[in-house]
Amino acid sequence: MDFAPILMSARVASLATLLAVVTGTPLAWLLGRHRFRGQAFIEGLVLLPLVLPPTVLGYYLLVLVNRSAPVGQLFDGLGLELAFTWRGAVLAAWVGSFGLFVRAAQAGFELVDPRLEDAARTLGRSEWSVFCAVTLPLAWRGLAAGTALAFCRAVGEFGITLMVAGNIPGRTQTVPLAIYDYVQANRMAEANALSLLTLAVVGLLLLLARRGSGARL
Amino acid sequence: MIVLPAVLAVASLLLPPAIVQDTLTVFAASDLQLPFGAIVPMFERVTGQKVVLVFGSSGALAAQIERGAPADIFFSADQGYVQQLVDREVLYRGSDQVYALGYLSLVTRRGSGLMLRTLGDLAGSGVVRIAIANPAHAPYGRAAQQAMRRAGIWELVEPKVVLGENVRQAVQFVTTGAVEAGIIARSLAGDPALVAIPVDPSLYDPILQTAGFVRRTARLELARRFLAFVTDTAGWAVMQRYGFARPTSP
Repeated sequence: MDFAPILMSARVASLATLLAVVTGTPLAWLLGRHRFRGQAFIEGLVLLPLVLPPTVLGYYLLVLVNRSAPVGQLFDGLGLELAFTWRGAVLAAWVGSFGLFVRAAQAGFELVDPRLEDAARTLGRSEWSVFCAVTLPLAWRGLAAGTALAFCRAVGEFGITLMVAGNIPGRTQTVPLAIYDYVQANRMAEANALSLLTLAVVGLLLLLARRGSGARL
Repeated sequence: MIVLPAVLAVASLLLPPAIVQDTLTVFAASDLQLPFGAIVPMFERVTGQKVVLVFGSSGALAAQIERGAPADIFFSADQGYVQQLVDREVLYRGSDQVYALGYLSLVTRRGSGLMLRTLGDLAGSGVVRIAIANPAHAPYGRAAQQAMRRAGIWELVEPKVVLGENVRQAVQFVTTGAVEAGIIARSLAGDPALVAIPVDPSLYDPILQTAGFVRRTARLELARRFLAFVTDTAGWAVMQRYGFARPTSP
């Protein structure tokens, strides 16, 4: 049994989740704590990657980051080639999981009672301090649930990854891609082992997330 | 909960990279899966170098290479995709080589009770579905389609045809019993789960399997050695065992 896909999946899914949390939290806060023009449009945009076929997303991403495209050349120039590298797999998993994190985190922010934030303000706290000391701790269930969902989605990402990063053993091959290869090569024992492992990891995480979030998932 | 991915991310970055940088990356048509699976360990023993194999339909691999996939050498199942990449200056001009002649086999699953003698039998009611590779990007799928056309049964069997993503997947459809019959590469027909008969070669154009070197490669010399190894005594004995024939010299 080859452990490279497991290591690759651990790296890709955790980095993508981290990226989703870092980029998604400000947006989720904006959407959950404010009402503004164009909000419905932005919420639609966040949902779009969850409902679009992964091949469509993969196609547009590849068009964006391939070696002859401006964005691709920019990253190449920085020595961070994206297309057909593990970084491309992170990009794919991030795009796939971003919306899931934002939705759950936004729900968490919406539940925060604004009077508690106002109370902190009357005590002379700065906006940043209010966010860190009041809003974030009160919204944590949503954030935690979003993180777990994003991680599970990133572990399972297949279609976008295949198009942007390819399926290169040891270089871009994550667990789902390895399972696909094993099935095609009729190596059912290995396909079975990896599938069971994925089921166990994702199942356990969902269970933990449901507990942590008070079964609001 | 949020700390977890951060810790994992840092840990995974600290881990040594999964592969050594100095490996030969071979993009190979799916019909080569079994022979290359045997040839690569031999080559690695002889040269002491690592080889990474990536399989897929020739068309899908060509598209990936054109968009910058890190292949060093491309073994297509036909001539067309290599020619196309040479013309687009992705592969070196003049270094491409027909390395083998491939053939089609008609297969059924052992123990299915189905007795096929010719392609014409595919039109019979015992065959509900026929697996071939997707002709849009897989040369063996194109050859299979051509053979059914020339055999005069295409109109009859077209509704039964199921397309595999590549010829390896078409084989998998048959071995798992999902379909009754398949027209596949001879190199994959030796599976003990299959009963195979050759398809009359006059029914399809010769399958000229062609290899080319990727211009971006930093391992041209190693790639050349690998191609030579495949067409040379040790490698070629394996290729022959899987039903490939020597290309007739031009």
